[in-house]
Amino acid sequence: MTAANEAQIFDQGYRRYDGPRTGFGGALRSLIVHSMKHALGLGRSARFKILPFVVIAFAYLPAIGFIALAALLPEDVDAQEFLPSYAGYYGAVVGAIYLFAAFIAPLLLCTDRRTSLLGVYLASPLNRPTYLLGKAIATVLLLLIVTLGPPLLMLIAFTLESQGPGSIVEWIDVFFKIVLSSLTMGIMFAALSLAISSVSDRWIVPAAAIILIMPGSAIVTDVLIWEADMTPMLHLLNLPNLPRELIFRIHGEARQSFSSPSGTASLWRESENSTTSLWLAWLGYVGASIAFIWYRYRQLLVRR
Amino acid sequence: MSDHQLPASDALVSARNVAKSYGSFMALADVSFDIMPGITGLLGANGAGKTTMMGMIIGLHAIDSGSLNVLGHDPWHSGTTVRERLGYAPEHHTLPPDLRAADFVRHVAELHGLPSAEATTRASDALWLVGLGEERFRPMGTMSTGQRQRVKLAQAIAHDPQLVLLDEPTDGLDPMQRDAMLDLISQIASEYGINIILSSHLLEEVERICDGVVIVGDGVTVASGSLAELRGTSSSGVSMEIDGSVDDAEQIAAGLCELGLQATATGRRIVVEGNDDTVFDLARDACAARGLGIIRLNRHRLSLEDVFIERMT
Repeated sequence: MTAANEAQIFDQGYRRYDGPRTGFGGALRSLIVHSMKHALGLGRSARFKILPFVVIAFAYLPAIGFIALAALLPEDVDAQEFLPSYAGYYGAVVGAIYLFAAFIAPLLLCTDRRTSLLGVYLASPLNRPTYLLGKAIATVLLLLIVTLGPPLLMLIAFTLESQGPGSIVEWIDVFFKIVLSSLTMGIMFAALSLAISSVSDRWIVPAAAIILIMPGSAIVTDVLIWEADMTPMLHLLNLPNLPRELIFRIHGEARQSFSSPSGTASLWRESENSTTSLWLAWLGYVGASIAFIWYRYRQLLVRR
Repeated sequence: MSDHQLPASDALVSARNVAKSYGSFMALADVSFDIMPGITGLLGANGAGKTTMMGMIIGLHAIDSGSLNVLGHDPWHSGTTVRERLGYAPEHHTLPPDLRAADFVRHVAELHGLPSAEATTRASDALWLVGLGEERFRPMGTMSTGQRQRVKLAQAIAHDPQLVLLDEPTDGLDPMQRDAMLDLISQIASEYGINIILSSHLLEEVERICDGVVIVGDGVTVASGSLAELRGTSSSGVSMEIDGSVDDAEQIAAGLCELGLQATATGRRIVVEGNDDTVFDLARDACAARGLGIIRLNRHRLSLEDVFIERMT
């Protein structure tokens, strides 16, 4: 064969396309991947990577510290006395988790409304409900980095250090409890932060609102219950603590107080609320958030 | 158009008595047209309802009454099917500033169903086609308005759509950039067979590259059809330029009026109304009777501006 016969044109330039198309599934996958990369600053300049990765580091550092502690403790010392439970771990990182939610949810929704991207998305096979579904999945998956990752890392590390569950059945049980716990916190924070993000086109406004509302609700409910001696049912309004309390129930642990004004080692008073009422409140927050987001986007006039 | 008129069988978009209101504001009262293959200009003054019409073609808004068919489907109920075959470049210039052009175009191509590897290749090809090959890895926030308009065009065509909607694609461009953009749009339609709907309020750019036109005014269709048809159905006549003075032209026009014709003189140019061939003979004879030469004698072609003004009034 001569060289001329072997010649091929590799760069054909723009041409028609008649190959396969991935349809709605491909569009949804692309939206989720692009949104996650955007929030993490991937494909963007270095300054956009700083905040997400600093917050992720805050969520993982305690876990890495506990893993190191477990490895360094002498064998005759019971490591469980020094290490937090899987449910208790969230107490150390809940601030980082809602800071992460406050950062990513506005970034995912507000940027699209502020630029032409929302119009471009709605001119694709996506529509308003499927666009919002993609954004919600992306937010939950991002939150799982900080809610699922650290306890899962601890479970694997403790297992390798012979500090983990005693049997495979126990290991699987703990694993599923960790997954359910992280989803409980991730879904609720995602729903609330997306709902707040749907009110403004400027991401800084909902970000500030989320940062204020989350601890604000905890402070207000604590003051009402502990100082005004009001009903513990008000703990259902404590947004950061509601999913934490549910996580304790999922792991079957009694929650120990380390900040109660009534003294040390007393049970939190929200423990007086039934598990059913906690799950109903959780469902209420998630459902109301979804309804509010849908109301906002159904009203939104996308003309350009 | 009447209610019972059927859409043309090969029309890409057919609208019949479409109405749309937002609360008490009537955006479109009664719009009917067929958009055929090629480049079609969607014309109208600002606020005439062009963007609303584009939104309904994409399936962003449901119509209140009438019927709308895009590529053989109802865009509101079969939006996914329709939009997979559509490309859309919004009017708004604000694209995500920190996103690189190639990443943006690839993402939009993936949204329209292209597999990831194919989307990457075609994003690059589309950006080369619009003249941004060397700039494709630049963040869009660092680009000029002209470059961002080209990025919007590239993302609209990267997935090889059957129909592309361009909303004011020359907005914010200087005259040279505008010429280049219009040439590019024309090239995309003619070389690759991509049908284009071009929303604009600039008559001259529509006249320059479009095969057909839909004129919307105050929420109703003022005119629609091919440019040739519109010029043909509007009033026309004979245009004659004489080798004489302005006074000569006015006297010839007055003489033709005495013969029962409608004639007007503008400078040394005389326009005589009427499509009959005898109008040519009478205009020639009137000029010859005065011993004047004829520089130009041809059928008076209406510009799109003439059609627009005539229909709007």
